[in-house]
Amino acid sequence: MQTTSEAQRTYRPSGIRWQFVLDRALTYLLVAIFLFVVLLPFYWIFISSITPKFQMFSIPPRYFPREVTFENYLNMARAIPYVGYLSNSLIFAIGSSVVSVILSFLASYALARIHFRGSNVVFMFFVLSIAVPQIGTLVPLFEMLKNAGLVNSRFALIGLMASLITPFTVWIMVPFIQQVPAEIEEAAVIDGARLHQVLWHVVIPIVRPALATMVIINFIIAWNELLYPLVFATSRLTKTLSVGLVEMAVDPSMGAGRPWDLMSALSVTMIIPVLLLVLFFQRLIIAWLTRGAVK
Amino acid sequence: MVWQRYLAAFLLLLPAAGLRLLTTLYPFIETFRLSLTNYNPAFPPEKYIGLANMTRLVHDIGVSSSITFTIIYVVSSTLLQLAFGIAVASLLNSQFRGRSVVRAITLIPWAIPMVVAAIGFSWLYDRDYGMISDLVARVTGVRIAWLSGFATARIAVIATNVWKSTPFLALVFLAALQGVPAELYEAARVDGANRFQTFGSITLPLILPQATTMGLFMLIWQLASFDLIYTMTGGGPGFATSVLAYSIYRAAFGGLNFGYASAMGLILFAVVLVAGGLALLLYRRVEVNY
Repeated sequence: MQTTSEAQRTYRPSGIRWQFVLDRALTYLLVAIFLFVVLLPFYWIFISSITPKFQMFSIPPRYFPREVTFENYLNMARAIPYVGYLSNSLIFAIGSSVVSVILSFLASYALARIHFRGSNVVFMFFVLSIAVPQIGTLVPLFEMLKNAGLVNSRFALIGLMASLITPFTVWIMVPFIQQVPAEIEEAAVIDGARLHQVLWHVVIPIVRPALATMVIINFIIAWNELLYPLVFATSRLTKTLSVGLVEMAVDPSMGAGRPWDLMSALSVTMIIPVLLLVLFFQRLIIAWLTRGAVK
Repeated sequence: MVWQRYLAAFLLLLPAAGLRLLTTLYPFIETFRLSLTNYNPAFPPEKYIGLANMTRLVHDIGVSSSITFTIIYVVSSTLLQLAFGIAVASLLNSQFRGRSVVRAITLIPWAIPMVVAAIGFSWLYDRDYGMISDLVARVTGVRIAWLSGFATARIAVIATNVWKSTPFLALVFLAALQGVPAELYEAARVDGANRFQTFGSITLPLILPQATTMGLFMLIWQLASFDLIYTMTGGGPGFATSVLAYSIYRAAFGGLNFGYASAMGLILFAVVLVAGGLALLLYRRVEVNY
């Protein structure tokens, strides 16, 4: 046996090696193409944001900036109330991610741990409600909020967004809670602990990392949301950065051409928070995002 | 005690379920009522007009072309996202240096706002100053005003949508592939299977269940997509890239035709229902075959 394999290795060493090298090269080539396609828009937005405006419109377009400027960022912050929109975005995204995770946790605990008739039906109600298109419910929602005097209310915006991401969060969380061993909770109940004490002192310490990850994921989803703020945030006290960006894009006072310099700068500032979250928490985010699909 | 258990479950479910009922179920039902009226908040007295909105819908060219493009957009996006998603996943599943960095980068398109992607691509597609137009012009000699042509605008928005969601699907499929024991691939390689044979006989069958689930999910989810079209083309040129969700938004918050927009909303619900039903049938078949 030993001699046969020795013989083979001496017989065709270069053939196998070449095949291996070619295979490696092909992998790296494909990865390079993939990275180019994924990163191209980011590169283009980023260099546009630091290129002086008069150099942005050169023919042929310049792939590498010759001069670097922060003028576009300053002009952008003058064109819209940037700090105001930024804090609106943060309040909206943090508020709705925290509220959605709290509500989903309570509901998921009931669905995962308490045995009652129809718990499957309630779970299906949550999951299937993802399919109801957000856009189809906007008109009645607008009427409802208008009648209640809640258009432009931060609470209403947070409530709507929290509701939108709750089904997905419940879907991820129920199977997760089900796989946490129940013995400690049962022991606490036997010791006479009430439900809220069990939740607060026993369950939450165990699931805290999971809740934190869901807060991060839901923050990203809410940070990226356009439709609810576009319809229900009409004053500068509630408008988010995504609304600011699309208003720049469709603003007729900007003339025929879109203000690419301002939009690039604004886009970069909108990418930075989610980019940081991705860089720090990518393992957790990927693990939890793919959890629902891969059982 | 039984009633205590039910009370606890009820109290825990109440906040989430109550919010969902109020913001989804109630508007869903209210849409049916509003679709039978001519309600316009600028001209208040709302009047019952029966199925007049529906007859108007049938003759509305904007709506019929929106439905056509919605189907083209959703079906072609989903198929391309699945195909590229599987291809990228099997690429990321092979051995190479810097794999974890590439994996992190793969998450970025999912994490950024759709509006930012739409703006970035519009700028890349710009006829004179955009990099994509320039690269295409250098290679083919033809300079294309992507977003101004009927077919090119459709290609451009679908390509952007595929760019945005393919990496997410790739990560889902990659997670599925990482559950596959490495010995399986080793064995295939020892048996002399090449890259394509391994893909066809190991990778593809193993992620078929996930691919079907995700395809179903993407299909239904993208039927209601709005952000990309709104930011990139505004449905133009003409009605070339108008999708149903965008038409509803225009009718409701551009024209304040709340009654008419609600009728269009019902069409969207119906489309989602039909697509969901068809996709479920397909899902069943794949499950049995697999």
